[in-house]
Amino acid sequence: MYGETSGMLREALGELLRQHRIQHRIGGAGLHTVPETTTPEERKGIGEQIARYRYAVLVWSHQAMRAAGPRINLEGSTGRTRGPAEELRYRLEATLATIEVNLPTMDELVTEQPFALVDTWRQAARACVLGEHDFANGVGYGRISEAQCLTVIKDAADVVRAVVSLDRRYANIPGWQGLKEPGRLGRAADTCATWAGYGDPDYTVDLRGWNPEPTLIEGPGLPGVTGVLQAQHNLLVHLGTVPTAHNLRVVLDSQRIVSRETARRLQTVDPTVAVRWERRAETYGRLVHETRDLGGMVGNGAHAAGQGSVAAVRMEKLDRGGLSDAPQVRRLQRVSAGVDDRICNVIEHGIGQRLYFQRINVPGLDDHNGELIRVTRQKFVPITSPVQTELLAIVRSDLRPTPIQRKAPRGAAQSRLDFEAALHHRPPPRGASPDVPSI
Amino acid sequence: MLLAHAVTLAEARSYVAALADAALTTDASIEYDRVLLQIDFIHGDYIPGISRVPVTDRDVLFEVAESAIEDLARHGIDSLTVELVLDMLWAARELDAP
Repeated sequence: MYGETSGMLREALGELLRQHRIQHRIGGAGLHTVPETTTPEERKGIGEQIARYRYAVLVWSHQAMRAAGPRINLEGSTGRTRGPAEELRYRLEATLATIEVNLPTMDELVTEQPFALVDTWRQAARACVLGEHDFANGVGYGRISEAQCLTVIKDAADVVRAVVSLDRRYANIPGWQGLKEPGRLGRAADTCATWAGYGDPDYTVDLRGWNPEPTLIEGPGLPGVTGVLQAQHNLLVHLGTVPTAHNLRVVLDSQRIVSRETARRLQTVDPTVAVRWERRAETYGRLVHETRDLGGMVGNGAHAAGQGSVAAVRMEKLDRGGLSDAPQVRRLQRVSAGVDDRICNVIEHGIGQRLYFQRINVPGLDDHNGELIRVTRQKFVPITSPVQTELLAIVRSDLRPTPIQRKAPRGAAQSRLDFEAALHHRPPPRGASPDVPSI
Repeated sequence: MLLAHAVTLAEARSYVAALADAALTTDASIEYDRVLLQIDFIHGDYIPGISRVPVTDRDVLFEVAESAIEDLARHGIDSLTVELVLDMLWAARELDAP
């Protein structure tokens, strides 16, 4: 998720921003009480390693700016036509073009470094490599709201500010390659961060991005309501592929049974929730009725139909007090809402792409029996044609679950506040102990 | 599929669907829908559509549906399969008792 990867990056950079006396931290001369442990050549190698990690951080920032910015190409733009976000992206592109190091290899990303400072850079680079997946999986302009885009832009600008600030601090490392025009890059980042921070941030973007694919719960059937949850979860996973019309009907029928049996068992435990399940059963009943003449051979869905039937049978066999555990009921509600959502998408997709058809009998001419019209001929027509059923209306108005207003994850704002504090952090005056208040 | 088979199948489907709609209990309706799903599963996707039936009496609907399903055996459907469908139909009928 974006929140995890960008949080890891902020945490690592925040720690680096609080570290001063860089030479001393990589074994160089610093305090007269601590001996020098590395030679200038070794420190040069360490500096090159840090530059590779820093390159990964700058690449992530550039990717974030590209993903959240509406403009695809900045070619031909001038300083006057570029807004704050475009200007930062332009400066980042110019900076990246001058960097002569390669991205860190996989070995460098996974091998722990001997110095804590370098290892923190490694953590930052690791977060950036992981974070690349987020931009292709939901964190991008058009897929997130305007406020979420601005939050991503602000995050990236803050990261660039941190890198520019650290660049000045590392200048004494032997052979250190500074950033090209750090002043302009830093100013562009400051302006962009201020501009993107005007409105209210939307930290729900932290929930977007790459997530591991849900996998099947294999193995023998689990006892009780856990077995129903297992089958419903597997059904949800199998509904990732479009089922044939017949298999879809089996799935709809199974969900009607699951809902009805759940409502029965919840009557005494929680009547309010039982009413919701009754309503779901009634909706699926109407869907079963409307899909009796649904045709379509494209797709598969045999596994989905099988898991749906298993869920229905397990729910039928569940004893009367089987749903007295409230957390399990909530889990069942959550996974069933996922099934509803997926079925809505499948039906809308199937109808839109003409994978499902409505089977109708049309009047056909028959010259032999003396009557002109006989209802014999069979025809398949698209559901979007004038011969429409209630199917789409039921899916859109009754079945589709109301979108959940997601809350920003706990700690999203605090992570950014901590990073902001680290950006404005100043080292304590020489000789002062950070733990003892000065007089 | 020959025309006679198609007519029998259309009759079976239409009357079972009418039984599901006219069932007194939801459980019976679910069972009748299962019978319909089973008939469709036996025939694959190329099956005639459901048409409106001229009667509403459940006993008559059941008799016609039962007879149409029995007739499917004369159109190449395995007798055991037909018997299983009939068994499902009777099970649904038991749930539909007033």
